[in-house]
Amino acid sequence: MPGKKKKEVKLFMVLFLLPAIFIYTLFLLIPILDSMRLSLYSGQGLIPTEFVGFDNYVKLFTQFPFKDRMINAFSNNIKFFFIVTLIQNIFGFFIAFFVTRKIIGKGFFRKISFLPTTLSVLVVGFLFKLILNPAWGIFDKILVSLGLENFILPWLGNPLTALPVLAIVVSWQFMGESVLFYTAGIDAIPEEVTEAALIDGASPLQELWYIIIPSILPIIGIVTILIFIGDFTQFDIVYAMSTTQANPAFGTDLFGSLFYRAAFSTPVRGGWGMGMGAAVSTVMFAIVFTGVMVWLYFFKLKGQKND
Amino acid sequence: MTRHGIKRRLIKISLFSFLSIYTVSILYPILLMFLTSFKTTREIFTNPFGLPASFEFTSYIKLLTISNYLTYFRNSIIVTVISLGTIIVITSTASFVLAKYNFRWKNFLYLFFVAGMIIPIRLGTISILKLMIEMHANDTLFSVIIVGIAVGIPFGVFILTDFIKMIPEELSAAARIDGCTEPTIFRIVIIPLLRPALAAVAIINYIPIWNDFWFPLVFLKSDSVKTVPLATALLFGQYQTNYALVFAVLSMASIPVMLFYLVFSKHFVQGLSSGALKG
Amino acid sequence: MIKRISMLLVVLLVFSTFTLSAGGNKEAAGEEKVQITFTSWRTEDIERMNRINAVFMEKFPNIEVLFQPINDNEYDAQMRAGLETGTGADIIFLRSYDTGRIVYDGGSIYELNKDLPNLEGFPSAAVKAWSTEDGKIYAVPSVGVTHGIYYHKDIFDKYGLKEPETWDEFMAVAQTLKDNGEVVFAQGALDDWTCYEVVFSGLGANFYGGEASRQKLISGDMKLTDKPFLDAFKAVDQLQQFFPKGYEALDYVSMQTMFGTGQAAMFMGGSWELGILEDLGSTDLGWFAPPVVNKGDTLQYCFHVDAGIAMNSKSNHPEEALEYIKWVSSPEYAQLLMDELPGFFSYTPGDYPLKNAIAKEMIGAASDAVLTVRTVWEKMSAQSPSGNSLMGEAIPKMWKDEYTPEEAAAYVQDGLATWYAPFKK
Repeated sequence: MPGKKKKEVKLFMVLFLLPAIFIYTLFLLIPILDSMRLSLYSGQGLIPTEFVGFDNYVKLFTQFPFKDRMINAFSNNIKFFFIVTLIQNIFGFFIAFFVTRKIIGKGFFRKISFLPTTLSVLVVGFLFKLILNPAWGIFDKILVSLGLENFILPWLGNPLTALPVLAIVVSWQFMGESVLFYTAGIDAIPEEVTEAALIDGASPLQELWYIIIPSILPIIGIVTILIFIGDFTQFDIVYAMSTTQANPAFGTDLFGSLFYRAAFSTPVRGGWGMGMGAAVSTVMFAIVFTGVMVWLYFFKLKGQKND
Repeated sequence: MTRHGIKRRLIKISLFSFLSIYTVSILYPILLMFLTSFKTTREIFTNPFGLPASFEFTSYIKLLTISNYLTYFRNSIIVTVISLGTIIVITSTASFVLAKYNFRWKNFLYLFFVAGMIIPIRLGTISILKLMIEMHANDTLFSVIIVGIAVGIPFGVFILTDFIKMIPEELSAAARIDGCTEPTIFRIVIIPLLRPALAAVAIINYIPIWNDFWFPLVFLKSDSVKTVPLATALLFGQYQTNYALVFAVLSMASIPVMLFYLVFSKHFVQGLSSGALKG
Repeated sequence: MIKRISMLLVVLLVFSTFTLSAGGNKEAAGEEKVQITFTSWRTEDIERMNRINAVFMEKFPNIEVLFQPINDNEYDAQMRAGLETGTGADIIFLRSYDTGRIVYDGGSIYELNKDLPNLEGFPSAAVKAWSTEDGKIYAVPSVGVTHGIYYHKDIFDKYGLKEPETWDEFMAVAQTLKDNGEVVFAQGALDDWTCYEVVFSGLGANFYGGEASRQKLISGDMKLTDKPFLDAFKAVDQLQQFFPKGYEALDYVSMQTMFGTGQAAMFMGGSWELGILEDLGSTDLGWFAPPVVNKGDTLQYCFHVDAGIAMNSKSNHPEEALEYIKWVSSPEYAQLLMDELPGFFSYTPGDYPLKNAIAKEMIGAASDAVLTVRTVWEKMSAQSPSGNSLMGEAIPKMWKDEYTPEEAAAYVQDGLATWYAPFKK
């Protein structure tokens, strides 16, 4: 009897687990590994067929223009990540800190801060591209009406401004996520702790420094790693604001747009063929993997030791 | 009033002003998008800031006549509903087993799933495309749906396993004594208690699935299977000089998600926060 | 909560099945119609192409042609992926030479020799742009385009300016306009293909010696760093001082709108833009050919073989698609095309009256000129890094003073030398 019962349990367990394992493995895990395999192939078509060993990587790391584009995308991506991380963490934290104080309309502020995050990156990118249009965009008109016409720049045409503009637009959109995470972290601080501190005569600044910041440290880690993964695969914003050519002259090229262009475009538009595209995605995987490991080391494993 | 009180008040006023400016910076571009969609191209040049002269739906009507927008909309709904429904079903069953039973590969399986949260599926695009071509699923809604499900699984398992673990074992034990089989226990004991968590999983996956642009761009070619984001990009490219129409295109793509968010905002916040604190 | 969500989902599903059935009804109504899709990179032409196709659909009431263009930057990637996965449009616009060649070498394009014997009568230079060495033809040579300079007559008249013939006159005109505070050129550098395809190929040809030099470049007997080509780079570099403020961020569509709405005096553009500029309300439009270096020089005229119309070899409706392709090679189509899309010049043999005065000027300029195509389009854009993308990078960088003309030329030359065999020696 018990033996039979146990067997039944096993069958339903398998049936319950199988669909998730099947779809997850076949459409997420295997493709990631298989893309790495395809990076060892070359060919003109959609599916690379000719085995070339590590040739694609040799090209990618040593030859013009492949090496130059990759280094360019890497340095752009680092800058992009830096700007987004700074803005989202600093502003996100302070906005969260403010909306957890006793302030009129804090529920409304909380609600609105997440609104842009619900939009698609594509829509937001297109919208800001129109707003920043040098011939009739409203942003330059606002500057003129404020008497700041000397500060008008070719926002999306100059590599010095284009990349930061894209980073700011992305931060604008995803600020809500940071606010939400930090708000959750601050709300989770037990009230007794805060009250005890206030009774002891702690000023709001002291409360911020000694109670709030220490308890939200892990959230800084989560926000940052989410930004990291998102930014090193970011494509939509470049597509919408700078086209797949990452105008001006690859000045806004990120790994995501490099990957798309390399894999899917024709040579005339900067395409490199699918095999090279797979090599680029493998490099991206290595970067994301390294980043996640660093994060785990600093925020997760160390945290567990303290538990 | 004491000096201290005045100071506190000043701080509060400045905080309030800061938050107000931030809110305006969010709402103004969105409002601009809606308002501009009602203007004529001439008005966009001559009166960029003001209200449109009249709220006529000319651009929206044009949008519906020149494109199969209802089809795109329908496709997006189909993709979202089927993906979310499947995610909920298969991750709740899997999480139930992972949370309530002991077997040898349990911890490994849990980590195996959860690891997917940090793997960007885009990096497997070339291989997925190859798979879809081999399955003749390229250019079908199925291709986008199945990828949406695969992306949703890790987070679903992560949230639901945790949640099911918190359901007291006594409830299942009682049902077992009443002669219920394990699947029945899942159905009548676990599921009713799991509803808030299921809602969180659905809500969290709703935004990325509805807004996904990458996979539709790679997989979908025929007009009859295009989703809203893909159509947005296409229409934006086609009608770039018709500014009012372009703004109407952007508004149409934004209204469904924003409405959904405004209606369910409380649950969004709960769902996402629970994810944040556990992560 | 979950109840509300599931309610919402049910409502949405009901709504979607409703629209689904609505869509189904539409199809049922025109049951016998076969729908063929036609894709191109010309998103600007939707309405005009629909009018052309309406004539075809009247003749063949059982066929419905759906024109579905994709914007220029994305076109090649999307079109190719569609063809290779068997989900592409039935009729496609194919670029000339290498970019098209990649597509038909992949076997995705239907070979036309058997079905369209009349293609033999087309100008051989045009047919060659879409065929293999052994004479297999893959597209109906449909559109040739020219490059030149548009201007607003009203603004020229205001300062008593005349159409310049030589480069020096051209620069003097620009200087006068600039001195009077006019925006001289509605030119931008954001969509960098315009810098190379229109400005360099169009205006540079007179400096580098047009077709003769281009042939020497292909064979490797000349380099882009040789004096004639370098002179072209230098001339193009001079233009930058007359560009509007913020030209770095001005994209292609904004350039057209800026000039078309009369906010700038001149615009270096392609003949294909004529219709768009007129649609934008320009009634005082003038045009002149790229200025020559010395008075009396022969014009080296970039008359580019631009678009061929080809058929998907895996089309679901091959008979209907072929019917359309045949019609596209007919004189009737040629006349319609040139009427609807002034500035598009058909290769179909025959005499066609041109209604548009500027289109007439454009074709007139060809009569005593040496014709050529874009500088590094043929053979030199087959692989990465392609001549096209290198040029597109080098020229804006030269304008922004990141490169000198010498460095810009060397950048393209060296980039091509990494794979283009004749440059390696």
